[in-house]
Amino acid sequence: MMEKMKIEDFINDLKDALDIENENIEISLKTNLKELEEYDSLSLLSIIAMIDKNFCKQIPSSDFAKVTTVRSLIKLIGKEYFII
Amino acid sequence: MGARLINIEYYLPDKILTNHQLAKQFPDWSSEKIEKKVGVKERHIVRENETALDLALIAGKKILKNYDKDKIDFLLFCTQSPEYYLPSGACILQDRLDLNKTIGAFDYNLGCSGFVYGLALAKSLITSKIATNILLITSETYTKHIHSKDKGNKTIFGDAAAATIIEKSETEKIGEFVLGTDGSGYKNLIVPNGGLRNRYNNNVKEIYEGSGSIRTDNNLYMNGPEIFNFTIKVVPKVASKTLEKNKISLEGVDYIIFHQANKYMNDYLRKKIGISKEKYYSNLLYTGNTVSSTIPIAIKDSLDNEIIKKNDKVLIIAFGVGYSWGGTIIKI
Repeated sequence: MMEKMKIEDFINDLKDALDIENENIEISLKTNLKELEEYDSLSLLSIIAMIDKNFCKQIPSSDFAKVTTVRSLIKLIGKEYFII
Repeated sequence: MGARLINIEYYLPDKILTNHQLAKQFPDWSSEKIEKKVGVKERHIVRENETALDLALIAGKKILKNYDKDKIDFLLFCTQSPEYYLPSGACILQDRLDLNKTIGAFDYNLGCSGFVYGLALAKSLITSKIATNILLITSETYTKHIHSKDKGNKTIFGDAAAATIIEKSETEKIGEFVLGTDGSGYKNLIVPNGGLRNRYNNNVKEIYEGSGSIRTDNNLYMNGPEIFNFTIKVVPKVASKTLEKNKISLEGVDYIIFHQANKYMNDYLRKKIGISKEKYYSNLLYTGNTVSSTIPIAIKDSLDNEIIKKNDKVLIIAFGVGYSWGGTIIKI
């Protein structure tokens, strides 16, 4: 079993993947990714890479289509991978 | 007895589509971001009346300038943009390149994995004594399949043809192959209409993709995230199996050339496998993803720029539409 990840570390990685430069943009569990300008087909590649790197896991694109909030993304990856 | 790669020439159509032009068409599209992430600045695209066979012919003529065409006894032509359903483009090329009528010639339909499969075919034709001097041409015009408003695919793909000569040799210079296929992913990179299952439809409806791209079922469709998932799963395994089968370590290989899909994906695969930047080819800046020609273009450019030299062992890995993949090691 891989080491569990802290939510804040995951959110930091997510911010990197989304290439969010504006420090005023807060990302929390409640943030709806679909409402972010940075959440596009290119950043999706980075998110896939980030999830593979941290969890050795590939998320089917049809599941990605259902993702809304950061919380829903965590649920999709699997809560067991996180320190909650 | 074995086979060796003698020479490569390639041809890029003269019409160029720049990031600047794309930014004009798609105002929300960031030229800088694309160049940084996708790694493409411009791509060569065919004109309306120009086909993959035309490109193949030019690449073929280019390589035959410095090679006795009468020595060629087999022609392999890889394309997914055929001139006709029938006959094979390879037959037309035999005539137009003025090759002997005694040659064997056929087309095969593969995309990004096409060059590696071509080498496997050429090697087996040589070692089974069916042929001795093979002309392998990969030619693709995906831009013909792409919808004019498909931002994503227009950004990634470019057109090109490459011609390679593989000859019988005293020692084996083309190593063992690892090939693979997984047709369960066929819908993730496809031109749905235009074949005999779903005929080309003049009244087809426009499909709006989430990322602001538009296409129809007459056009190329690519599920980028799913293709990325596939490569993450498959490519590291193909790399390690190819090394194992050739009884060599990653450190023992002089240079590594992967199919140039897009910069981000290739960089991620490099890091995941643990390949140093110095040994890894990454360049689609002026061509884009040219499908079956990215690897021969990379080999040719690496030779011309003396990045690889005689006797170097080069690991090549190709992967894509099908899904289809392959890997081998060639000795330059």
